[in-house]
Amino acid sequence: MNHTFTNFDAELTRLYGEIRHMGELAVAQLKAALFALHSKDAAVADAVVRGDAAIDALEREVGHDVLRLLALRQPMARDLREVYGALKISADIERIGDLAANIAKRVKIVHRHPALPVLDDIEALLNFSALMVADAVAAYHARDAEQSHAVRARDAELDERYTQLFSRLLSHMSQAPDAITAGTHMLFIAKNLERVGDHATNIVENTIFIVTGEDALDQRIKRDGTAN
Amino acid sequence: MNINHGLIQRRQIVNNLAIALSAVATVIGLFFLFWILYTTLSRGIEAMSWNLFTMNTPPAGATEGGIANALVGSLMMCGLALLVGAPCGIAAGIYLAEYAKLGKAGGIIRFVNDILLSAPSIVLGLFAFSLVTALGGSFSGWAGAFALMMIALPVIVRTTDEMMRLQPKQLREASLSLGIPLWKVNTQILLRAALPGVTTGVLLALARISGETAPLLFTALGNSFFSLNMSEAMESVPTSIAKLAMNPDEFWNKLAWAAAFLMTSFVLLISVLARIILRTNKAAND
Amino acid sequence: MTDNTQTLNFKVQAQGLDFFYGDFRALKSINLDVREHQVTALIGPSGCGKSTLLRVFNRIYEIYPGQRATGSVLLDGSNVLAPGYSLNALRSKVGMVFQKPVPFPMSIFQNIAYGISHFEKLNTADLAVRVEQALRQAALWDEVKDKLKQSANSLSGGQQQRLCIARAIALQPEVLLFDEPTSALDPIATSKIEQLIAELRRDFTILIVTHNMQQAARCSDYTAFMYLGDLIEFGKTDKIFTKPNNKQTEDYITGRFG
Repeated sequence: MNHTFTNFDAELTRLYGEIRHMGELAVAQLKAALFALHSKDAAVADAVVRGDAAIDALEREVGHDVLRLLALRQPMARDLREVYGALKISADIERIGDLAANIAKRVKIVHRHPALPVLDDIEALLNFSALMVADAVAAYHARDAEQSHAVRARDAELDERYTQLFSRLLSHMSQAPDAITAGTHMLFIAKNLERVGDHATNIVENTIFIVTGEDALDQRIKRDGTAN
Repeated sequence: MNINHGLIQRRQIVNNLAIALSAVATVIGLFFLFWILYTTLSRGIEAMSWNLFTMNTPPAGATEGGIANALVGSLMMCGLALLVGAPCGIAAGIYLAEYAKLGKAGGIIRFVNDILLSAPSIVLGLFAFSLVTALGGSFSGWAGAFALMMIALPVIVRTTDEMMRLQPKQLREASLSLGIPLWKVNTQILLRAALPGVTTGVLLALARISGETAPLLFTALGNSFFSLNMSEAMESVPTSIAKLAMNPDEFWNKLAWAAAFLMTSFVLLISVLARIILRTNKAAND
Repeated sequence: MTDNTQTLNFKVQAQGLDFFYGDFRALKSINLDVREHQVTALIGPSGCGKSTLLRVFNRIYEIYPGQRATGSVLLDGSNVLAPGYSLNALRSKVGMVFQKPVPFPMSIFQNIAYGISHFEKLNTADLAVRVEQALRQAALWDEVKDKLKQSANSLSGGQQQRLCIARAIALQPEVLLFDEPTSALDPIATSKIEQLIAELRRDFTILIVTHNMQQAARCSDYTAFMYLGDLIEFGKTDKIFTKPNNKQTEDYITGRFG
């Protein structure tokens, strides 16, 4: 059923559209970073860095719209959860965008050095995270709690892969000291990808809250075992 | 919107016409009022002096006189009529408004009251007379007061009923919610709140009965002498006007005019007073 | 978030309550448990029966023939609808404040003292103390202490309403019923009364009917949503307004009601 006050529906639709657009941009950024990594294309990497501004601008707009909705429409129940969720999700997507831009910067640096054997793993990790984000945004758009739970479950795998990649990089750098510069940047790239996964998980947890009104039940277990 | 100027103009003309006609009607009404006052004053001016209040109705041929006995008689009979009639009428009005409002009895009582209200006063006077003679009495101040009371009663009942019903229902409910019994709510709260309107009703009843002539002719008759005895026939201002005016004696006629002027002014004064009471109370409560 | 109000007793309980205006059934088997020292709001669209329900609790409907209630309403465990229950006792335990401020046509002091004098015999000094107490509790004392002898009609709308609240409080009831108490007031007067209601819960159990949902959200602890004579949902206010169980409740609260 629609709101009796039809402007409210229009404004909510606008808000959801903004989030969706942000999500699409973030996924595109990650995929472009992957492309830059794979084909050693510095121009694409630069484009990614510049493209982050668009995501930041959208986040600011979402912030304004949320404030306006709260002040003028006094949303309740589901509407309130939607508006609150939109605010949090936009923050997560904006961070994903920042991380993608950071990855692109480091990709350029990595490519000035001889290739490391872990490059394939990095590409795979990047692909994995990009897919997670894409599925998270799709689950939000569909307001599907089940899909959200499925995406959430993949974070564990992402963390596993990251932990392994971390050890491999460490051992490689200890054996080949010239690889340290490239290797360190790759560590950062890998860490950023692990963070992307966390933000994607935040997105689906917020989606679950919007739909059910409950927090996701089981505590998310941090599987970043690198500090163990 | 396409404004039809002809429509607006026509309406404007009708509006102005209506205002003009109303103004003319007002002027006509006021004209007659002032004409009456002027006529009574000018014709009775010679008889207007303090004697009016100090001397009794004079015998034929006299050159001096007043209407002291009539004034006292009117005062006593009207006073008694209201003394008995006002509490009765207010109580009946409260009953109608508070207890009977939802039953059929309420509608019937109101209907009968309205008939009484518009009954010719001479009929009421006749009734009072036959009742009094049936009880063995004759022309007296008591009978006169009784007749006047019957005329005043329906007016007071009606006004009290209306004024009580105007009180917001939440005032009644709020008082009852405090555990106050219904009779106290009616008398100490609702009646008190309606008091300006109820007082006006009593004043208007007074204005009416002070000018009633026909019923008094049957009951109090008239008395040329000063009397404070209610068991005897009693003079009143309207009956004295009748007597003084119908006689060819010139001085008597002048006295009649003077008395008429006094009567008219009295009624005017009471109506203005009633209005003032209502207006000041309305202003205080808004 | 722990809910420590669960341990509070039920002050007023409606059980299987039906209400009839003549043949028309306005309330349908209402079961409602009101906790003591909490503010419970009744919300719902026009004609849902919320005012009707409120007016059962002090049996004010009885002055109108043709209106009757069946079922039971327990106040501290005793059924107030039972024939043997003293109306006077009920009126001293349950006070009511109405939508329209209706001060008595007396001075401010007399307005408060009138009700007290009906139930208790107090000397002048004690009466003055009680009047001051009631006015303080209603957050009106400072504004009227210098003009107690003035007519109550000289006060502003918001002050008159607080006077009516003081008048009800003066009888030291246990339960206070508010029937849309701020509908006739401006926003500032409304806020003052809402603040007062929040403070009064310390000493009284409060039931408030309001057609303004935001008011229910602001001042109540528990909210009951009613529709066409049925109690649709009842629960803690923060839950009702963030995650109601019933779709009808959600539609009403979010402004989707057709």
